[in-house]
Amino acid sequence: MRKNKVLITFLLIITMLLAACTEGTNVDGNSSSSSDSSSDATSQGPLVIGFEADATTLLANHDVNYTTDTLIRNIYDPLIDRDSQTAEFAPVLAEEWKNIDEKTWYLKLKEGVKFHNGADFNANAVKFSIDYILDESNGSFYRSRWANVEEVVVLSDYEVEIHTSVPFPSLIQRIAEDLLIMEPGYVEEVGIEKASSEPVGTGAYTFVEWSRDNHLKLKAFEDYWQGKPGIEEVEFRIIPEFSARMSAFMSGEIYLFKNIPVDSVKQFESNEVKQISSSRINYLALSNLVDGPLKDVKVRQAINHAINGNELLETVLSGYGSRITGPLSQLNSDYAETKEYDYAPDLAVKLIEEAGYSPEELTLTLDTPSGRYPMDSHIAQAIASQLQSIGINVEVRVNEWGQHLEKIQKRETGDMFILGWGPAFDAQSTIENLFTLDAPYSSFYQENIEKKIKETNQLFDQEARYAGYAKLQQQLVEQAAWVPLWQQADLYAVKSSLNFSPRVDEKMNVFEMSWN
Amino acid sequence: MLDFIIKRLIQVVIVVFLALTAVFFLIRLSGDPTTLFLPPDAPREQIEEYRELLGFNRPLYVQYTDFMKGAIQGDFGESLRSGDDALGLVLERMPATFQLAFSALLLSIIIAIPLGVLSAYKRNTLFDKASVGITVIGQAIPSFWFGLILIFIFAAQLKLFPSSGGGSVNHMVLPVITLALYSVSRFVRFTRSAMLDVLNKDYIRTTKAAGTPTSTLIMKYALKNSLIPILTLIALDLGVLLGGAVITEAVFSWPGVGRLLHQSLMNRDFPIVLAGVFIIAIIYAVINFITDILYAYVNPQIRVK
Repeated sequence: MRKNKVLITFLLIITMLLAACTEGTNVDGNSSSSSDSSSDATSQGPLVIGFEADATTLLANHDVNYTTDTLIRNIYDPLIDRDSQTAEFAPVLAEEWKNIDEKTWYLKLKEGVKFHNGADFNANAVKFSIDYILDESNGSFYRSRWANVEEVVVLSDYEVEIHTSVPFPSLIQRIAEDLLIMEPGYVEEVGIEKASSEPVGTGAYTFVEWSRDNHLKLKAFEDYWQGKPGIEEVEFRIIPEFSARMSAFMSGEIYLFKNIPVDSVKQFESNEVKQISSSRINYLALSNLVDGPLKDVKVRQAINHAINGNELLETVLSGYGSRITGPLSQLNSDYAETKEYDYAPDLAVKLIEEAGYSPEELTLTLDTPSGRYPMDSHIAQAIASQLQSIGINVEVRVNEWGQHLEKIQKRETGDMFILGWGPAFDAQSTIENLFTLDAPYSSFYQENIEKKIKETNQLFDQEARYAGYAKLQQQLVEQAAWVPLWQQADLYAVKSSLNFSPRVDEKMNVFEMSWN
Repeated sequence: MLDFIIKRLIQVVIVVFLALTAVFFLIRLSGDPTTLFLPPDAPREQIEEYRELLGFNRPLYVQYTDFMKGAIQGDFGESLRSGDDALGLVLERMPATFQLAFSALLLSIIIAIPLGVLSAYKRNTLFDKASVGITVIGQAIPSFWFGLILIFIFAAQLKLFPSSGGGSVNHMVLPVITLALYSVSRFVRFTRSAMLDVLNKDYIRTTKAAGTPTSTLIMKYALKNSLIPILTLIALDLGVLLGGAVITEAVFSWPGVGRLLHQSLMNRDFPIVLAGVFIIAIIYAVINFITDILYAYVNPQIRVK
């Protein structure tokens, strides 16, 4: 009898728990037509795009994370964008811009643009959006990039001036890459918290529903200033695992996703894979800041000659990427041609001997992340074996991404490490962040180069600026500051029913897509 | 009995406290979260400013005592990335994880207990050997791999079920089967051995000799008496299922606590990780507590020990 009671009690507890759990889950109970697995991708329902991770917030100008930015650019508009293929600046909400003097910029804004809530877009919205970044209490992760901005002055409803504390030639880059326009009235009315989860912008799509880590649903904005978007509804579905993304693509649940691993491309129909050369570069940093043989330029040059970049690209990356010879990608507006270190193992040995070493007595460390860049840890192993073929011992250390980045920032890596940078379209954002003493991402430093960087950054004259950066690129290559590897190839899986052209800046603006 | 319950309750508190302490120090060994939040071109001053703002530049023991003070009041701070209340985010995801874990538990019970009973009753027959063989394989297959195979066959090829996401009952089928695989295997083997123990008892033989029908023999006498240890295992397995949900949620993009924790760990969003550990530790400890109490209720000797 007693045992019976125990059993009944126990079963009751289980039943009550079960009943409690099957109600009120945050997973919506309706199976949308898009997730009806029995239907194939047709051009009738919403466009579903598979994404690796979710946005952390839907508020503009707060989180610098790529995913957040890519998703919310469908809700908010920038003042200035980049051309999707050439990366040239293109007007969006700003019709024109010019610098009045070295510390003053003037922007003329587009008239007649409406926010999703019906409010007018005007100069106040621009001031509000920049002030949001500058206000320390908001904790925007963009703030350091905008620290040179002193004040935004509203001249009229559609004209603003931006005053900077020092000459800031790269302000337009910052505006194009960072700034999205928020609706001041709405943010003030509902508060930051609500504006972060139910955003209002002037973008092509209005907010419908956000289920964190599950999906973000948007619908076309009827009164969009560039005309009603061709695709009515969009769902960004969060699918962290590549295999699951691939299966969802094959079963027709999603139409598009980015980042097919190079070793999985063969599993897709050839007409379903689109690629573009990204402005994100991968390189092997050679540190002259740690005590060791790499302090000697001849050893750094030797390593450049001992690594066969073309072979790595063809064998490990199956040819998906474009070789670079200097610190900038060819998509970079300041790109200048630099000499290439050809693959010459004998010359490498000779240079090492000239530096007073023999290859066999060199033992170098190589830090690499795993899974951050295409085939990164495989590339590291292949580089190690190429260096070992001339006698250099290499110890490869594979790190989790966060740990890898922290090691680099704290200058705790050894002689060499693999890193990617970008997408970068101007020299300053690359060179300044890689080759000055405060910038840890190359571990290469020379005083005269830093001086030259600082001088060039201040130049307003385009020609002088370009010439300055060209000189710097030559110098860095001569000094063998690192081993330039390649520009990544961005690989997308795209259903044939969707008309989508990859952009050089990795953005996915649904307004630019259409059904075939 | 009351003494026993109080003692066990104190143990629950200690377990949760120790779990939080261990995880607090372990995740801090993983590094500094500002690395991942700020843009790579952030100057040192801004990094320091954030470290100060978040309190990461204080001595570790100060951070720990502050954290514990908050945790006692149920305040785990805000997500470093989104600014949302960390505990709130975890609790918001709990139902989805429970839904998955309980469905898997139910499925396991429905499949495993009849199978285990039959295996025991037909011991050493082909049926018994086949079911034992299958359970060995079931316990050996990594759930990650099994989930991907299910997705490939039933979602990508046959298009019977969605490959990922949450929503309808359809969405639940594959993740629940994946999660249930391990439990089914454990339950079958355990039920089989518990039943075998009982079936060898004298009173069963006597009852059988008295001409009691087989179904009555199994249901009324044998199964009832072997159910207590089986129920204990089921209760404890709920904890295993909640833990196992982490991998299954990642494979099927199921929006539960497991995935939230996994991503928060990757992002070093410490407050969410700690809030998640707190909730899971409590569930685990409470399930153990209830099981202990029930056991003690049934078997007074346990209390004495």
